[in-house]
Amino acid sequence: MMKSYQNQRRLSLIFRYLLLTILAVVWILPIVWIILASFSYNNTGFVSTFWPEQFTLQNYIGIFNNPQYPLVNWIINTLIISIFSMIISTFLTISVAFVLSRLRFSFRKPFMQIALVLGMFPGFMSMIALYYILKGLNMLNLGGLLLVYVGGAGLGFYVAKGFFDTVPFSIDEAAEIDGATKLQIFTHIDLPLAKPMIVYTALTAFIGPWTDFIFSGIILSTSGNAKNYTIAYGLYNMVHNSKGNATAYFAEFVAGCVIIAIPITILFIFMQKFYVNGITAGAEKG
Amino acid sequence: MKIWKKVALSSTAILAAMTLAACSNGGSSSSSSKGSDSGNLTLWVDTNQVPYYKQIVKDFTKEHKDIKVRVTQSPTGSANAKTDVGKDPSKAADVFEAPNDHLGQMADSGYINPLSPTDTKNIKANYVASAVKGVTWKGKVYAYPYAQQAQTIYYNKSKFSPSDVKNWKTLTSKGVVATDFTNAYVMWPVFFSAGTKLYGDNGEDVKGSTYNSQNGVNALKWFAEQRNNKGVMQTSNALNQLKKGNAQAILDGPWNAANIKKILGKNFGVAKYPMINVGGKDVQMEAFLGIEGFAVNAHTKYPKAAAELAAFITNKKAQLITHKAAGQIPVLKSAITAPEVKSDPVATAVIEMSQPNNSVLMPKLPQMAEFWNGVPPLINGAYDGKVKPAQYKTQLAKLEKTSEKK
Amino acid sequence: MFRKKKHAAPAATFHEVWSKGSVATKLSFFIMGSNALENKQWIKGLSMLIAEVAFIVWLVFGGISAMAMMTNLGPNKTKKVVFDKAQGVYITKQPSNSVLILLFGLLALIVCMGMIYLYIVNLRSTRKNYALKRDGQHIMTNKEELANLFDARLHDTLMAFPIVGILSFTILPTIFMISMAFTNYDRQHPIAFSWTGFQAFGNVISGDLSGTFFPVLGWTLVWAVAATVTTFFFGVLLALLIESKGIKFKGVWRTIFVIVWAVPSFVSLLMVAQFLDYQGAFNSILMNIGLIAHPIHFIDNQATPLVARITVIVVNMWIGIPVSMLISTAIIQNLPTDQIEAAKIDGANAIQVFKSITFPQILFVMAPSLIQQFIGNINNFNVIFLLTGGAPMNNSYNGAGSTDLLVTWLYNLTFGQEQKYNASAVLGILIFIISAVFSLIAYRHTNAYKEG
Repeated sequence: MMKSYQNQRRLSLIFRYLLLTILAVVWILPIVWIILASFSYNNTGFVSTFWPEQFTLQNYIGIFNNPQYPLVNWIINTLIISIFSMIISTFLTISVAFVLSRLRFSFRKPFMQIALVLGMFPGFMSMIALYYILKGLNMLNLGGLLLVYVGGAGLGFYVAKGFFDTVPFSIDEAAEIDGATKLQIFTHIDLPLAKPMIVYTALTAFIGPWTDFIFSGIILSTSGNAKNYTIAYGLYNMVHNSKGNATAYFAEFVAGCVIIAIPITILFIFMQKFYVNGITAGAEKG
Repeated sequence: MKIWKKVALSSTAILAAMTLAACSNGGSSSSSSKGSDSGNLTLWVDTNQVPYYKQIVKDFTKEHKDIKVRVTQSPTGSANAKTDVGKDPSKAADVFEAPNDHLGQMADSGYINPLSPTDTKNIKANYVASAVKGVTWKGKVYAYPYAQQAQTIYYNKSKFSPSDVKNWKTLTSKGVVATDFTNAYVMWPVFFSAGTKLYGDNGEDVKGSTYNSQNGVNALKWFAEQRNNKGVMQTSNALNQLKKGNAQAILDGPWNAANIKKILGKNFGVAKYPMINVGGKDVQMEAFLGIEGFAVNAHTKYPKAAAELAAFITNKKAQLITHKAAGQIPVLKSAITAPEVKSDPVATAVIEMSQPNNSVLMPKLPQMAEFWNGVPPLINGAYDGKVKPAQYKTQLAKLEKTSEKK
Repeated sequence: MFRKKKHAAPAATFHEVWSKGSVATKLSFFIMGSNALENKQWIKGLSMLIAEVAFIVWLVFGGISAMAMMTNLGPNKTKKVVFDKAQGVYITKQPSNSVLILLFGLLALIVCMGMIYLYIVNLRSTRKNYALKRDGQHIMTNKEELANLFDARLHDTLMAFPIVGILSFTILPTIFMISMAFTNYDRQHPIAFSWTGFQAFGNVISGDLSGTFFPVLGWTLVWAVAATVTTFFFGVLLALLIESKGIKFKGVWRTIFVIVWAVPSFVSLLMVAQFLDYQGAFNSILMNIGLIAHPIHFIDNQATPLVARITVIVVNMWIGIPVSMLISTAIIQNLPTDQIEAAKIDGANAIQVFKSITFPQILFVMAPSLIQQFIGNINNFNVIFLLTGGAPMNNSYNGAGSTDLLVTWLYNLTFGQEQKYNASAVLGILIFIISAVFSLIAYRHTNAYKEG
């Protein structure tokens, strides 16, 4: 009796390992293929085999030496934008989340309701207007793009607010009785507690510019100067520009993609813990 | 009260508004007449053309010392000139490259200026007739043409003899032709072979289409037949099939000739389209003829200088440079007869295709936008059977209705 | 709860302020900030005064005309091509630029509303100062006012910049977009356009585009439900599998799946589109291991709509399951185990435990974020745009393919060949209405929308 139970357990474990292995292979296979494709010699703009027919490092050498598509400039541009966007957006988002969670004032509820409503409009439609606003400010450049990324930061407060809601209010009250101002409560008590949230918000803001190819395209493309692009738009533009481009640059495009995907993937894996904490903390409070 | 925030807020807003208002007043003015022979110009070309246009422009600035020219890539390529310029004409380049089917819409929208009478006369006198027709819209010339494009058939010489590629039937029984039935630019001309017209004789008559007819149905039937033809392969990447050897011939344009040469090497062969059998008759398979040209932005501050630039970068020398660098086929009569063009088999084939009975000039009507959107699903549907023969009539009527709308 | 501070506003009506106030107080009704200046609140008073002067100057020199122009979006509707003899070239006299006129008009309206608000604030401040003075109480000094900004009024300080940002980069563009839906801004009127009322709405709902709108709407909803449900459900299952007894290296397993989520979507989706192509690597793998004899059309133009739609949902699972696995893992780890133990003692098997205990608990915690995911999926641009681009083509649609969602169709209408800006604005509004209705119903039912 005991033995058969053990056997059954073992069988179940083997079965579960097997299932997990199959799933993992299915999940990781396309990613492995992308990496393999970046080493594959290619001149037709299409990789049709799983295993490259011919290995080459030429794609990586090419992408760094392409005069029309200055990858290094793109990386630098994106890095600058993402660092600024990270600092400013994090400050704004955390402040708004703190204010909405801990302070009570007349336009608190209207603000949250408006934020909810605004979130339901598809973002694309605002692009025409955004373009002309930035043009009016003479900022159809990286600075303008930064403004767009930062401009909406005040609306991304949900996760962080959910987190602040879980911090007991009694801590704030105790500090207030001791004579602390609201600002001191914010900077000395709630901010240190919110460290995981700050890391999460900062990383999200940091990653944004690396993956956005739509807004950056709208704002940066008119300059016609490839040196001003960010990496996502630059790479996207590489294979979606003119006739014959997809063929000529596809292999280098894949190499470029792998180059930028590696750091972002690592950041994401690092961030997952904070992400989960944020989502679940927010979800429990509703 | 919450004064500080509001003070800060509204003063910023007012400041911003004033800046914007100031800009708007400055920006809304149209072409002002600044000095005729000086200026700061931007030129949009395709990414891969940037290097040699920089070269051409260098010669231009040598002659026109007061004109500065910046050569850059256009946002999404000249094939999308209309939408790129339309996004914000005042920010678009002073001179940009455009295919001729965009000219009507751009002229009607006020994106581009017509050419001066002298330039018009020059173009009418010295360019091949199809190119002149290609850039003329409602009696005025709107672009400086520099190249013509028509698809031809590229084939592997070791598989086909030159006489094999003269007929679709022998072609597809001896080997495999890879092509794309989702591409209206490649496929629609079968309708011309079938004897129908698109927007009248000159492509400017909205009501002049005749494809909603038995001839049109015959064309659709031809597409449906190709599904069962083992020698015809549908693919979105014909080049790849050619390389892998799955196909030995493809229908493609001169812009890909260099790539095809790389793939086929000494077996590279090019010829005009074969004869096909549509509606029981053997007819020439036709192609769209496209004229690439440079247009002058109507918002330019330097219309004179821009026109000079556009004229210069399409002169004989420039046309020969683009031919050498990118295999573009010239449209200037004197350039076509140049020895290097005459000895180029691709150019010879394209020029043969450009003759009136082998190809039809792409219409320039703004309605082409609806046309390009509506055709691919219809042809592809006929090819893969999603559109049944019984529906052909109604589907053609529907296409006619949507692409005739104002 | 934080106790709500009673800012016991000193009792005084505006009528009383007007009739009994000092000259400067009375003047505050016309010249903003004069009362503050009288009470030596220099900074507040001066800022108010400058704001008012700037506003009036702006109104006279641009504001009024900006708003007036909005009534017809500019007088010049047609361009004129004229020959410039001096230069020997044709030049084009452009029509009025309606986009800018509309934008500045809206901006002017927002500025005016801001000014009205500021005026009210000014009056309230005056009333407060008046009442304090009347009752012989202390009126805040400059320094105290400033200090107050970091204490009782901290929310004003911290919210100021975010609100400016939201106003200019979200609210103004959104209102602009809503206005566009009531114009004839399209291919034929790309520069100068006019108000046309509900014509564009009519075109989408019952005219030309209705044959595309309703089927695409239907698929969008099917997609949003399927995408949300599949990723959630299988994410929970995957989390349970990894968390189940006996599995070692749980972190490593999780990371394998998370990698897929972490790769930027424009990279992974564009490449997967090639991977799944008719001639792509996936088909050749399947053929090599003998699963299929001929390649399958997954997402190209020859694919049947059904296969393409299923493929899109499956690819979305590939991307979405890791996220929901991560979240459910966190929830599962925090679930109270006593209930499960009790159920097991009562003889419930694993499936029963999952069905009646674990799953409902996860669902309860996840409900609000599921609603958000649902809305997100209605607007899920990337998966469709990068993966299929709308393919396969659909002959009965106008400008959209079989897998196009409303939002990708909207994108095509704006940036594609047809340039139907007004129709895409209408779509934007309709998407908003649909999202709003669904989330309202959902929030009502989950009861999660308590205090927000």
